[in-house]
Amino acid sequence: MKFILISLILAFAIAAPLIWTTDYWHHLMVLAAIYAIVALGLNFTLGLTGQLSLAQAAFWGIGAYTSALLTVRHELSFWIGLPAAAAVSALFGILLGFPSFKLSGHYLAMTTIGFGIIVRLVLQNETDLTGGADGIAGIPAPTLLGFDIDDNRKFYYFALGFLILLSIVALKIQHSRAGRAFQAIRENEMAASATGVNINRYKLIAFMFSALYAGIAGSLYAHSAGYISPDTFSFDQSVIFLVMLVLGGSGSVYGTLIGAILITFLPEWLRFLKSYYMAVYGAGVLLMMIFLPTGIWGLLEMIQERIIGRPGEVLPPLERPGEPRKAELSVGAKK
Amino acid sequence: MDFITFLQLVISGLAMGAIYALVALGFVLIYNAVGIVNFAQGEFIMIPAFFGITALVTWHLPVPIAYSLVLAAMAVFGLVFELIAYYPLRNRPFLPVVISTIGASILLKNLAQNIWGAIPLRFPGLFETGTLNLGGLRIGLQHLLILGVTVILLILQYLLFEKTLIGKKMQATAQDKQTARLMGIPTNKMIALTFIYSALLGGVAALLVAPILNVTKDMGGPIALKAFSSSIIGGFGSIPGAILGGLFVGVIEAIAGKYYSAYTDGVAFFVLIAVLLFRPQGIFGERIAEKA
Repeated sequence: MKFILISLILAFAIAAPLIWTTDYWHHLMVLAAIYAIVALGLNFTLGLTGQLSLAQAAFWGIGAYTSALLTVRHELSFWIGLPAAAAVSALFGILLGFPSFKLSGHYLAMTTIGFGIIVRLVLQNETDLTGGADGIAGIPAPTLLGFDIDDNRKFYYFALGFLILLSIVALKIQHSRAGRAFQAIRENEMAASATGVNINRYKLIAFMFSALYAGIAGSLYAHSAGYISPDTFSFDQSVIFLVMLVLGGSGSVYGTLIGAILITFLPEWLRFLKSYYMAVYGAGVLLMMIFLPTGIWGLLEMIQERIIGRPGEVLPPLERPGEPRKAELSVGAKK
Repeated sequence: MDFITFLQLVISGLAMGAIYALVALGFVLIYNAVGIVNFAQGEFIMIPAFFGITALVTWHLPVPIAYSLVLAAMAVFGLVFELIAYYPLRNRPFLPVVISTIGASILLKNLAQNIWGAIPLRFPGLFETGTLNLGGLRIGLQHLLILGVTVILLILQYLLFEKTLIGKKMQATAQDKQTARLMGIPTNKMIALTFIYSALLGGVAALLVAPILNVTKDMGGPIALKAFSSSIIGGFGSIPGAILGGLFVGVIEAIAGKYYSAYTDGVAFFVLIAVLLFRPQGIFGERIAEKA
């Protein structure tokens, strides 16, 4: 059943550029794939480990700038720029992981917001290093086995390849020892620590993966757009990544993919709202938190549970990070 | 830097810091009452600034009437905000509520842009650019007004919380909702009042600061983030901490901005990260572990 569903979705993803044939739609598909990779990264910190990070756009930007600077200024290949982007971004991720040892909830959120704002100020003001507000232009298209990936349709398949690979890796990690450690930290830090989970180490690993994914996506973005500027990597963009994750279903790879794709294409489907689109989008986020706090994937799993009577990979509710559930403390381990 | 320049920077820094302090108070009061951080607090400044422009510029109302109208509208706004963005989620954990306030913020910003347009507007101030000259020391009259009003407001707030029954009920609700309810205090009403008061603080801050800024849909965000940092720097959850943290950030920002003008907007966050790493309870606060 699951196998058929996944094959169908894959077939659709591969056929999509042949159904919507304009360059503009191909461009959106590239964006959707890239956003999905960034959101998958955020799923490690927020979704699995329960650490509210609002710096995802900054990691994305660090990746994009690293790759762009190496290929434009030093004329290196994309295949050096991409791993370099992932590495530099992951390094910053580890750096931002350290405050999470002591801080949780709002404090950690504010630290990550501060980090994001400082990164953007550096991109904007260190003109010698980053090109300042003008950004960097003329970023070359990547080549793969001698083929130039120079239009949006080719780039879509290229990015889709990365997305599929990174989704599989994310699933593997989620169901590995590390993934269970992440979730243990989210559910109850104290209990996780008591059962021998090295909390600080796994928090750092979660932040590293989150930044690593964002860095890879940043490199892909830079080389598909050909031009980057600091404005793209703003706090508002971090919020959009957060909304993607929560709309789809925080904590689930499939949910994250759904969220990223929906949020990318929603403006197109809601064109008729014109200038009211963003207002409706805000209202939608608000209403969703009231009526659908576990996201679309959570809803689908609930329906599946009703029909089959067997619980699926039940989506855990979004809990206050770092704080044991009050109900469990008083009533025992009743869920 | 000579002493006069330094003093001028300190005074203008204190004025901006007073605004951060008012907004930080708004954060802290809501946080103490319901345990969430309101990410739409910036819109509590942006909305009254636009209200003020409508009352003063579009309707040509005299200043006292216009200002009163703005504050009355903000009281209603605070209540409506509570009913929509907080009340339905009152029993949910922290993250959904935070995201719902983020949604409210996106909604408000874009409604404002649709109503008042995307072009930055000018808010007519009481003193325009008048300055007071004290033997070479030039102080902006608007800055003096900000400081004066903030001091009066803080005294009034002290009287409200310490000397009136309703203030004590609000405090009791913030300290322990369940016990307060057992004592017969209508806690839901007190929470609504807290939101209204927080919106009023935003309204006052907006009337004071809008004349020296451009009024746009995005004007509130940076102020709110800096105010939030200030309240953590001062010690989150503490009212004196929010005020002192706000003033501290305002002054540091003014002085640092003189030398590194490009990074003015980052100063608050550099200080924040330094404080969180070396003294996580904030300068005046209790330990975070007890409140996080």
